[in-house]
Amino acid sequence: MATYPQEQARPAVRPTLSERLRGLVPERWYIHVLLWIVCFIIGFPLFYAILVATQTNSDIYAYRFLPGSSLPENWNVVMNIAKLGGYMVNSLFIAIVVTVGKVVLSLLAGLAFVYFRFPGKWLVFGFVLITLMMPTEILILALFRLVNSLGWGNTYLALIVPFLASATGSFLFRQHFANIPSELSEAAQLDGATPMQFLLRILIPISWNTIGALTVIQFVYVWNFYIWPVLIINGQERQVVQVGLRTLMGGDTQTRYGPMMLGAVIASIPPVIVFLLLQKQFMSGFTLTRDK
Amino acid sequence: MQGWIPALILGIAALLGAVFLYNTVGRGHRASLIVLGAGALTGVAGALLFMLPLNFCTFEQEHDIIDQVFGVLLIAIGMAITLLPARWVLTRLLNKQSFLAVDASPGAFKGIILPFVFLAPTLIILAVFLYYPSLETFRLSTLLARLGAPRTAFVCVDNFTRLVDDSTYFNTVVVTLLISLAIVVIGLILSLFVAVLAYQPVKGARIYRTLLIWPYAISPVVAGVIFLLMFNPTGGIINYGLDSVFGIQIPWLNDPSVAPWAVILASVWKSMGYNILFYIAGLQNVPKDLLEAASIDGANLVRRFLQITIPLLSPITFFLVITNLTYAFFETFGTIDYLTGGGPLNSTTTMMYRIYQIGIRNNDLGKAAAESIILFVMVIGLTVIQFRTSGNQVTYGA
Amino acid sequence: MKRFSLLLAAVAMLLSAIPAFAQEPVDVNVWIAFTDAGRLGWAQDRAAEFNEMFPQYNVIIEGYANYEELFAATALAAEQDSLPAIVQYFEVATQDARDSGYFTSIAEALGDRTEINGLSVNLDDYVAPVSAYYTLDGEFTSMPWNTSSAIWFNNMNYLNEAGVEIPTTWAEVEAACEAIMALENAPEYCFTFPNHGWFFEQWLAQQDAEFANNGNGRDARATEVTFANEAGVAVLEWLNDMMDKGYLYYSGAQGGASWATVDQAFSSQQIAMAAYSSSDTATYTQVGVDNGFEVVASFLPYNDATGWTGNLIGGASLWLTAGLPEEVEDGALSFLVYMTNTENAASWHQVTGYIAIRESAVEALSDEGWFEENPNFRVASDQLSQSTVTTATAGAILGAFPSIRNVVTQAIDTVLLTDEDPATVLQSAQEEANTMLEEYNLLYSE
Repeated sequence: MATYPQEQARPAVRPTLSERLRGLVPERWYIHVLLWIVCFIIGFPLFYAILVATQTNSDIYAYRFLPGSSLPENWNVVMNIAKLGGYMVNSLFIAIVVTVGKVVLSLLAGLAFVYFRFPGKWLVFGFVLITLMMPTEILILALFRLVNSLGWGNTYLALIVPFLASATGSFLFRQHFANIPSELSEAAQLDGATPMQFLLRILIPISWNTIGALTVIQFVYVWNFYIWPVLIINGQERQVVQVGLRTLMGGDTQTRYGPMMLGAVIASIPPVIVFLLLQKQFMSGFTLTRDK
Repeated sequence: MQGWIPALILGIAALLGAVFLYNTVGRGHRASLIVLGAGALTGVAGALLFMLPLNFCTFEQEHDIIDQVFGVLLIAIGMAITLLPARWVLTRLLNKQSFLAVDASPGAFKGIILPFVFLAPTLIILAVFLYYPSLETFRLSTLLARLGAPRTAFVCVDNFTRLVDDSTYFNTVVVTLLISLAIVVIGLILSLFVAVLAYQPVKGARIYRTLLIWPYAISPVVAGVIFLLMFNPTGGIINYGLDSVFGIQIPWLNDPSVAPWAVILASVWKSMGYNILFYIAGLQNVPKDLLEAASIDGANLVRRFLQITIPLLSPITFFLVITNLTYAFFETFGTIDYLTGGGPLNSTTTMMYRIYQIGIRNNDLGKAAAESIILFVMVIGLTVIQFRTSGNQVTYGA
Repeated sequence: MKRFSLLLAAVAMLLSAIPAFAQEPVDVNVWIAFTDAGRLGWAQDRAAEFNEMFPQYNVIIEGYANYEELFAATALAAEQDSLPAIVQYFEVATQDARDSGYFTSIAEALGDRTEINGLSVNLDDYVAPVSAYYTLDGEFTSMPWNTSSAIWFNNMNYLNEAGVEIPTTWAEVEAACEAIMALENAPEYCFTFPNHGWFFEQWLAQQDAEFANNGNGRDARATEVTFANEAGVAVLEWLNDMMDKGYLYYSGAQGGASWATVDQAFSSQQIAMAAYSSSDTATYTQVGVDNGFEVVASFLPYNDATGWTGNLIGGASLWLTAGLPEEVEDGALSFLVYMTNTENAASWHQVTGYIAIRESAVEALSDEGWFEENPNFRVASDQLSQSTVTTATAGAILGAFPSIRNVVTQAIDTVLLTDEDPATVLQSAQEEANTMLEEYNLLYSE
């Protein structure tokens, strides 16, 4: 309690002190230093991977911290022997299709759950809810047999259709729509708007943050597909990039790290670009829809 | 098998079901007879839920005590699955509550068919590609089956009960739990620390945040590849650094007590961005006036952080614990496959990795399906805890 | 108007006729278990030459990271009827390959043809160990391509400095290690091997001990594995002993990854000797040239107590998918014949170190003086041709062998990394393997 008056007295002294400091160093310089250190540690693995992508194995073992000269040669291995370009195109294609499909289906589901009354809603809702507990990874063996019996084995359909529905996305939009004042839909109905018109003209324009957040999450999710394509896709023609990277791991022969790192770096470019482009929406999509 | 065993089991199930519903719903009610009947029927249905597909095989004479215990367990689970919803439905029915009631959401559109049209694609896909394979996994788990083999063999619950005294499996479960625990604890503590830093209102905060969060976009496979390079026993940069600074070398990938740490570090690195993002969002919601009031009360930075910020962040922390656990269970697969291949001495073989080894590499579908179901049950447990504790919070990820 | 429609019809006819002239080449897909520029690249080059020679075919080579992965991928592909025309199966998958029904035998597909698309077929030209191994039930089943044996690589700089001869037995290895590790500039460890069940199988065969019953599965379908016998325990005890003495370097990597770690240790001179597949003789020899040390290959050291009977073949062969359309099958057969002709068999041997599988190739190489100039390259074939052929050295054939091999690999892992007793570990591995075999046979055998 004795310190209480002192605390009150402080404001009178403080400004002059901080004003003097402000001119010399950046405000709160130690925070900058700490942030620099943390950014460096987090960034180091990728930085090192990029460096190694230009080197040969002997450069690596000699711990050279300067770019090597074998980037063209490594590029040749990655693109012409491992043929990573084809894998990239496949991954890009399915990631875009699944992401768009998921956003559309989730928007529709959110619309149905929030702006309609129908019998058995809790049942339908529960039906979707429970799927949150069913990770595809656990079901892959049975899913493999099912998808093959549909004749979709080794096709893009196998990588796309089972993943179009999303409990996560449906809930995300349900939550988001539920927070929108109901006057909006009442007004729309007075104007004679159909539900689809309401969705397209009013809901979507005010949902870009949520859409952006879902897009980032789903794009990254699909881009990271690994175990499922290992099973269902055979042959290189339609294989995805995460599996394709295996071609760069020397099996029973010496691994050449240069091409492997170059491949890893190249494979990381699309999701990072999507993340950077939608960063603003991604971050505010979270703040907006988070539960109270 | 003697015919009286199933009859006895069903009789007991009917009795238990009737008693259960009567005690929880129908005591002293006018409709107590109906409740008793419904209880008996639901009890029988619950017992049959697993026993009908299995044809009561666990109680056949050639099966040992473990199988029988497992059979009883299955009956109990089956009865819980049917009786608990039955109690809920009956309570509402007897209290004349309509459970087909439609919530009176304001501003709703007219139409009963239209919402189903909107929901149809989602529902069909979930039914075909999630519900059906789940049931099929249960069926597979009772079989001895190989891809390409001309036939399959029914093995009752052997695929489950053989795990009881399988020390390798036990080891896998322990490894999974320990690796997951470490990923969650280390990942969250580091992420919170970084988030608090990144939350400070300094110049260029946006750029810092981008630089801190981007590994979120890196795949588990790429994390495995990059850390394989860095942890490499001959020529790895991390050992080079350790050797030149501290004069030590760590056998990252060839010592069973160290290799899990390589997996943990790679996984934490990959998942931190996601956690940091959530913590920054959470910190933005911590009321400033509360912190100011505390600082006026003389609480220092550390005490304010421990006593105000952390408790206020606990819903987010809880949510992150669950998503990180799911990540540790499933998505570390890619990292492990590229980094350690499950070794040495199975020290990095998680349950998911083992399912892959058994199901795909050994082409033993039944055993892999059985282990999938055990993992499934663990995930259900986690999800239930999540819903219990945090209500219908939106789940991010997958 | 009429003229115009006539013109249209003519154009349409022309358009529809084009495919008939420029006939689309038939795709022949080939899956092999190599990803490195040396081997995958070599095969792709052969495919390019072949496609140029025969424009009616388009051979496409795809590389998988290792045999185990390719084996799993094949079973998955078969389930969806998307098998390629040719698959490379490793030697342990032979029984699975026969049971699966995915493949047809080369002899049957060829029939009595002695040439195909103008390429002459000569199945009698293979060196003895190769034709013995790939002839099953008196018939040529799959196409040999990459055949190897386990051999021993010595860094002569260390051996010479320590004044020891190249070891031929386990005891000599130990003695050599003692001397090498006493050197002033001793390597970190004395020797290593990739932890892969194949080496256990090699050491078992050397002692004339069988891996499975029924004549190693060659007299009748194997119903039990027997590898936890005295010979098997001796292998594990020796390895364990070498590990305890600090001579053996164990990277902890198993299966596919273990090869790379051994490569790295040997080429960075952290070890003096290594057991390895002859498949990499070229790389191993070159690595010495590049880094200034002499590399000499020798026979795989054997157990003094039991003597040397012989060594196994290793590597893989190319299997032809059953039920291919005729033009694809012909294309596939032609490519198989082309890729393994005398000239290519010799080139493949020189590029890698896999043995020269054709007598004619061996002859051509000898005439060139290749083996005199490159003695390392003859070690594997010498080791195989000097082997006494018994059921043990012919190699085991049994179902679920790829999984069973992994069980052995795991057992070695356990012995090297824990204090558990080798005999106990091997015994429980044998029980596990027997369950696998029994379950496999339950689904397949009559």
